[in-house]
Amino acid sequence: MITREEIIRLTNEALKTEFELTDAQLVPTAHLQQDVGLDSLDAVDMVVVLEQKFGMTLRQGYDIRSIVTLNDLYDFIEKLAREHEAGK
Amino acid sequence: MTNSPQIVITGAGAVSPYGSGVAALLDGLFSGKGCMHSVPELEALPMVKTKVAATVPEMDYSFIPRRDRRSMSLMAKYAYCAAQEALRSAGYETAPQGLGFFMGSTLNSISVWLEVSKNCLERHLELVKTSDFLQIMNHSPLATVSQALKINGPCVGAADACATGLMNIGLAYLAIKTGLVRQALCGGTEEYHPMFSACFDIMQATSHNFNESPNEACRPFDKDRTGLVCAEGCGLLFLETKESAQQRGAKILAEIIGFASNTETENMAYPSAQTLRECMQAALKNACIEASQVDLLNAHATGTIVGDIAETQAANAVFGPAVQMNSLKGHLGHTMGASGSLETIACVEMLKRQEILPTKNLHTPDERCAAVNHITQPEKCSVNIILKNSFAIGGNNCSIVLRRPQ
Repeated sequence: MITREEIIRLTNEALKTEFELTDAQLVPTAHLQQDVGLDSLDAVDMVVVLEQKFGMTLRQGYDIRSIVTLNDLYDFIEKLAREHEAGK
Repeated sequence: MTNSPQIVITGAGAVSPYGSGVAALLDGLFSGKGCMHSVPELEALPMVKTKVAATVPEMDYSFIPRRDRRSMSLMAKYAYCAAQEALRSAGYETAPQGLGFFMGSTLNSISVWLEVSKNCLERHLELVKTSDFLQIMNHSPLATVSQALKINGPCVGAADACATGLMNIGLAYLAIKTGLVRQALCGGTEEYHPMFSACFDIMQATSHNFNESPNEACRPFDKDRTGLVCAEGCGLLFLETKESAQQRGAKILAEIIGFASNTETENMAYPSAQTLRECMQAALKNACIEASQVDLLNAHATGTIVGDIAETQAANAVFGPAVQMNSLKGHLGHTMGASGSLETIACVEMLKRQEILPTKNLHTPDERCAAVNHITQPEKCSVNIILKNSFAIGGNNCSIVLRRPQ
């Protein structure tokens, strides 16, 4: 089972590569739009890279727009990963 | 057009196979340096006869802000660099209010298109990013550079294949002349992909008998030529009214005094000397000058068998056998949509230096191309007016007339 730490590491790795971010920007409480600087186009591309990273679909059945902070994002991926592992 | 404003060039920017910047372009051209090389992808395709191209040296584009860069294909990055340089050389750190932008390309980014197409064909649409789509829109370089540099006047892109660069200069000239805009950036950009070489090869229009010595591969008008060498880059010019330039104390590099365009309707790929002649004559008429006043004809001449013959015949018909003529494709290759504007930058420099560049690799003119005065060595002489041609597959022709600042 993938751990939360692993989810955070993989998520940050994908975001750093795709959006040229630094570790300092990736604090859990960071606001994706205001602090990290991602806009609506980035949000769409973020889903694409995270789906590749985790090998599961992120965009169906959930409201990704409700994700505001990095912590929200980690929570969202963790929830999906648990469902994925449970075979839902 | 009576009482219409005079149009001048006050800035230029370039990315070429010689590197980034106008200085690199001019240094390469005036030193006669070679910039062509073998292409491994072509080496791997036995059915494609041509094996050479001229490409822009690899550069680091991370200085372009990520949010602007994410939607830029390589040709848009070339255009960003050229636009920024053109603005600066015209005396602006940021784009002036209402600046027009006229730029196009032959195709959009083939490498990005292929990647997107592959994902679509393999039913992996989930891998396609929004930034991929933004890189393959037909006007992607125009759109992304205007966003990045806040160019907020009309942004329009003529896409006329090999005539794109010059056609956009002509459109900008007309837009300023008729009062649509006061100032404009204009030209063309292009990104090489081996598919370009392969497609021209299918049309029997590539250079293939100098694959072992790439810098001799493109030889306009020469008896041993077999065709063009594909290349890439971006050339942009900053145009404005003479009044505007004088008011703000900008240095005038050259004046554009005429432009004309017509279309060959008999054949998509083979231009007729008559249509080319009519295009040049229309440009002279638009400039209100006689053929005898032209000091140099900077030819489109890409090194193809039929194109070079037709252009020579047309030049002879318009100017007579004494006209001085050169082509820059032997130096640069055919930078496609960028060729008209990159070569115009070189023409502006020839007016400035009072020196005509030779046609590189022209050693023995094909007797069917011999009825003009080919420049084969650098020539220091009086150069006040240059007529420059660009002709495209598809039959789109255009000519502009440049004059040394008075």
